[in-house]
Amino acid sequence: MKGEMMELKLTVNGKPYELMVKPKTLLVDVLRNELKLTGTKTGCRTSSCGACTVNIDGRAVRSCSVLALQANGHDVVSIEGVASGGKLHPIQQAMVDHGAIECGFCTPGMVMSARALLNENPKPTREEVREAIQGNLCADEGYVKYIEAIEIAAEEMRGGK
Amino acid sequence: MISDFEYFAPKTVAKALSLLARYKEKAKIIAGGQSILVIMKQGLLKPQYLIDIKGLAALEYIKYDEKKGLRIGALTIHRAVEKSPLVQKYFGVLSEMERNLATIQTRNWGTLGGNLCHGDPAGDVAPVLIALGAKLKLASAKKERTIEAEEFSKDYLEVALRPDEMLTEILVPNPPPRTGVAHDKLMVMKGDMGIVGAAVSITLSDGVCQDARIALSNCAPIPLRAKEAEKVLIGKKISDALLAEAGEAASTEVSPVDDVHGSAEYKKEMAKVFVRRVGARALERATGGRA
Amino acid sequence: MGETFGNYSVIGKTIPRVDARAKVTGEAKYAADIELPDMLWGQIKRSPYPHARILNIDTSKAEKLPGVKAVTTGKDFGGFKWGWSRETRDEEPFAVGKVRYLYEGVAAVAAVDEDTAEEACDLIEVEYEPLPGVFDPFEAMKEGAPLVHEDRPGNICVEYHWNFGDVEKAFAESYLVREDTFQTPRMAKGYLEPPAVVAHWPDPNHVVFQGAKGSPYFPYRILARLFNLPLSNVRIIQPFIGSDFGGTKNDMVHCDYAAVMLAKKTGRPVKLQYTEFDELTTCLRRHPMWITIKTGVTKDGMLKATYVKAIADGGAYTRMSPLTMFLTGTCMTLPYKLPNFKYDGMNYFTNNPSSAAMRGHGLYHSRFAADVQLDMMAEELGIDPVEMRLKNAIENPEPGKVYETVNGVHVASCGIKECIEKVAGAVNWKGVKEAKRVEGDKAYAVGIAAATYNSGTKLSAHNACAAIVRICEDGSVNYLTGASDVGQGSDTVTCAIAAEVLGIGLEDIDLKRVDSAFTPVDPGSYGSRVTVLAGQAAINAATDAKRQLLEVAAKQFGVKPEEVEIKNKQVFVKSNPEKNMSWERLVRTACYETPGKVIIGRGYSTQGISLLGLADFSRGFGDIGTNYSFTAQAVGVEVDTETGLVKCTDESVIAHDCGFPLNPPAVETQCQGGSYHQGIAAALYEEFKMDKGLTLNANLADYKRPRAYEAPMTRVEHVITNDPYGPFGAKEASEGSCCSAPPALVSAIYNATGVWIKDLPTQPEKVFRALKAKKEGKKSL
Repeated sequence: MKGEMMELKLTVNGKPYELMVKPKTLLVDVLRNELKLTGTKTGCRTSSCGACTVNIDGRAVRSCSVLALQANGHDVVSIEGVASGGKLHPIQQAMVDHGAIECGFCTPGMVMSARALLNENPKPTREEVREAIQGNLCADEGYVKYIEAIEIAAEEMRGGK
Repeated sequence: MISDFEYFAPKTVAKALSLLARYKEKAKIIAGGQSILVIMKQGLLKPQYLIDIKGLAALEYIKYDEKKGLRIGALTIHRAVEKSPLVQKYFGVLSEMERNLATIQTRNWGTLGGNLCHGDPAGDVAPVLIALGAKLKLASAKKERTIEAEEFSKDYLEVALRPDEMLTEILVPNPPPRTGVAHDKLMVMKGDMGIVGAAVSITLSDGVCQDARIALSNCAPIPLRAKEAEKVLIGKKISDALLAEAGEAASTEVSPVDDVHGSAEYKKEMAKVFVRRVGARALERATGGRA
Repeated sequence: MGETFGNYSVIGKTIPRVDARAKVTGEAKYAADIELPDMLWGQIKRSPYPHARILNIDTSKAEKLPGVKAVTTGKDFGGFKWGWSRETRDEEPFAVGKVRYLYEGVAAVAAVDEDTAEEACDLIEVEYEPLPGVFDPFEAMKEGAPLVHEDRPGNICVEYHWNFGDVEKAFAESYLVREDTFQTPRMAKGYLEPPAVVAHWPDPNHVVFQGAKGSPYFPYRILARLFNLPLSNVRIIQPFIGSDFGGTKNDMVHCDYAAVMLAKKTGRPVKLQYTEFDELTTCLRRHPMWITIKTGVTKDGMLKATYVKAIADGGAYTRMSPLTMFLTGTCMTLPYKLPNFKYDGMNYFTNNPSSAAMRGHGLYHSRFAADVQLDMMAEELGIDPVEMRLKNAIENPEPGKVYETVNGVHVASCGIKECIEKVAGAVNWKGVKEAKRVEGDKAYAVGIAAATYNSGTKLSAHNACAAIVRICEDGSVNYLTGASDVGQGSDTVTCAIAAEVLGIGLEDIDLKRVDSAFTPVDPGSYGSRVTVLAGQAAINAATDAKRQLLEVAAKQFGVKPEEVEIKNKQVFVKSNPEKNMSWERLVRTACYETPGKVIIGRGYSTQGISLLGLADFSRGFGDIGTNYSFTAQAVGVEVDTETGLVKCTDESVIAHDCGFPLNPPAVETQCQGGSYHQGIAAALYEEFKMDKGLTLNANLADYKRPRAYEAPMTRVEHVITNDPYGPFGAKEASEGSCCSAPPALVSAIYNATGVWIKDLPTQPEKVFRALKAKKEGKKSL
């Protein structure tokens, strides 16, 4: 039947969820409206700005461009799942310390793209850092401090300082 | 807003094909959705049935065989092709093309099959496959057929898929020795759709061009094989001047349209530039013996 | 990072942002994140014509749709009109008689979910009589052209004609006179967060408005007037805001009115959020302007006179165009000495979405034209462009002295010379020829430009700016501000100022964000006013609280209050530090000793009102700013000479005189951002392409915004001038970098290729054609 609710089973930030959703529901709307995880933002909904970026199975993906049902059986991490027990992730700490955050609207998406990058590639070149956040629009900060903060976090995570 | 539809997530290829056989034109396939969701959100596409094949792991693979060449499952994500050591070693041009395709987020979920079946003449996958002489395997519940990649696009956003068919595999033959293939596009920013794009394959024999394949993006309603440009190169020793001549020939074959990024006239000029530049890179690789 | 300026405890060094943690964890709530019980979703019905009379609106079918709870049209607003100032009230919450731009709102619906609301909008039937329209100022100014507003002949929205000195005489005496026309594009503000709002009425006499607004003051006063409510009953609560940049989020748009009216009708909270399409087709844009500038110079390159004619497309409504046209003209006499100046500024109504403020407001257009033309003249005279700028630059006035321009602009601090020298030094500037190199089909060069920006803007009736410092009994402090942090860091810097004055740490201060029920009033984030004016309010409020505490301390120590100091949370007698106590002890003493005090410090800014009076817009005379920042910038480019594609290189330096950098890393980030997002982006990429009122590129793939891969790693250097009128010597930071980047980029392109691009943006095809024309020997533009 058209629009009939279907079962969605997924893990978000380490917690399992079971929901019924309309098939046309996007993953970002499940996160924000059903699970009340409003840290993931919607800036465009047309796959251009990256404010909705989450990690699916560790990879950076735009949640506005994924049908929620496609996340069935997958592991989703949103910005709320990045810090652990109140302690900021090195990427978050670096962005805070380095003054990379201005209005903050693009920040969750930036963190998620950086997290996916550093999980896969602990020693990225500057070019690779730029590529990792090419899909994340910012309007304030000129990207300079974000790039530098991610490099600082990478070094921190590798144990160097 | 996206309109409601009836949703299926078949667990096997056979099930997917039987759904297609049943619903035909009323159904649309969604793979990664990176192209199709955009137009569904705009209300330009309102399928009654949506068949979600993203979960068909059986169609996610990259296999290499010395005889048969490269076989890529239609649901392989762009990022996998980009990062695959196999691809980088034997078909580096595919990896090169993928590195400039949209952004990492898109490449992490979007599939090669989805990209090809969307049929956007500005897309990057199709021209590279055409330059590589690739073939596409199309399956229906009843049978399978294989067609040339360059026969796949029919018109703007229209491909040669019958209503009950699905793309299952991309086959890229091993290039002959002394073949170089390259891809580039005019991007204002990295990852942008190319204002124009070119994929060129050159095969040398004793320093002479034995074969050339030139495919252009965003220069026509389909990815265009610039056959006149190819003729300029074939049978001759390639020089900068000859590449420039090939570029000129290509600019007479294309029929680009005006849009906010450039006029048709400008795109013709850029076709010249990119046939020349990408041809030069392909030639360099042919001389060095890599694809 | 980590540079320290001055000898302060909190300011002048890296100040961690008070809200960074909330933002980086996703805890910060923006307007679209707000959810209230029983909330409804709203949607707006928009006009399919750019200019049409509304004959009839039938909402009956929409009202009957299950799930629809209320519908509103323009008629519900009882003829209410609003505008940026009393004289310019020409806009209605929803169009009533006619629509004046494509997609202008005519009605709105509240329903149980977004889908239903959208479906209901489709069921609203509107009968229109399409009218012929005008789509640029040149059509608008033609004799007999259709009128956008019937009562505004010639479609003239605002015009200024100023005259200082004698430009004609000066031109006659000039060695070289040039006249050039430049064009700046129609631009989106570019903020990432689309406008969003949640409104509700706790009871029929109280309204609560939570919207993405950088200026809560506008909805505060407008809603009070609209609904005939006392201001005390209008509650504006600021969520976190995803940038503002002037216009739209600084002023009212349809979703604001829709939310409030629909909430009133339903008795339930109503939320609206704009889509990317709404934003890019209807929201306020930077004015496109055509600037014709005529300048005369002496043989050795000294400026003698400038005549600027500015024609602007103001779109369908006035909004703040009077300010735009004033700003475009006023700072022509900065940052160089200019003895004769004439200005004709005309802004026209057209059937396009309205134009309004945007970061770099006004000055961006004319400083672009002036600085590029300066390079053109330098070339004709054979003078190095950096030398020419240094020659003409205004000198930094001696302490106590003020430099006055011919149009009554007063500058007490001006570091432009040092800025230019620093930038030239940083890129090793040896001259134009040395600035260029060619590698195959790529040409590289650097261009240098200078700019200014007014800071601490003073306008009539919008200047009140206050703060409250509330000392809690345990020594912790609440800071209540009316100033809106839209991402520029004003929350942080005002708290830091308060901490500095009080002698405590930033961590001891808890900020209370704007909630008009509790926080004092403030016009909001525009006009680069917040640091200067809210900063002064912070100083005054903290000083007031401190004074009350010092009285108690003095009594305890047996001395006069002026003999006591508080530093690093220690309270001590200056001449005898052995007599001391902790901050906490002092506060406890003050609060608990019979009869016990309640320490509340109040302060407001006087700078905005009293300093030398307000500017006279019609004459073009006087100060719009409390003080003025100065910026010099070097931009390096790589030009692909075959395709015309221009990219920035990392050879990118800004030297910025913001008086005193209260939070140096924040100033740097702001400059890096301002120069890239609002400066370079306009110069390289951004332009709305229009076709008879229709925006052709209303999506982020076709309207390109700048991204990380291409971002230059711009370095920022600070120039300190300690302005006497700014808090701790501070002036605005970074808006000047929006104005310095475009001319620097265009100069760099010229230095690399020999072509001048005078109309922005320098998109590849434009550069390609200019290069082609040059090659074919055609005359340069």
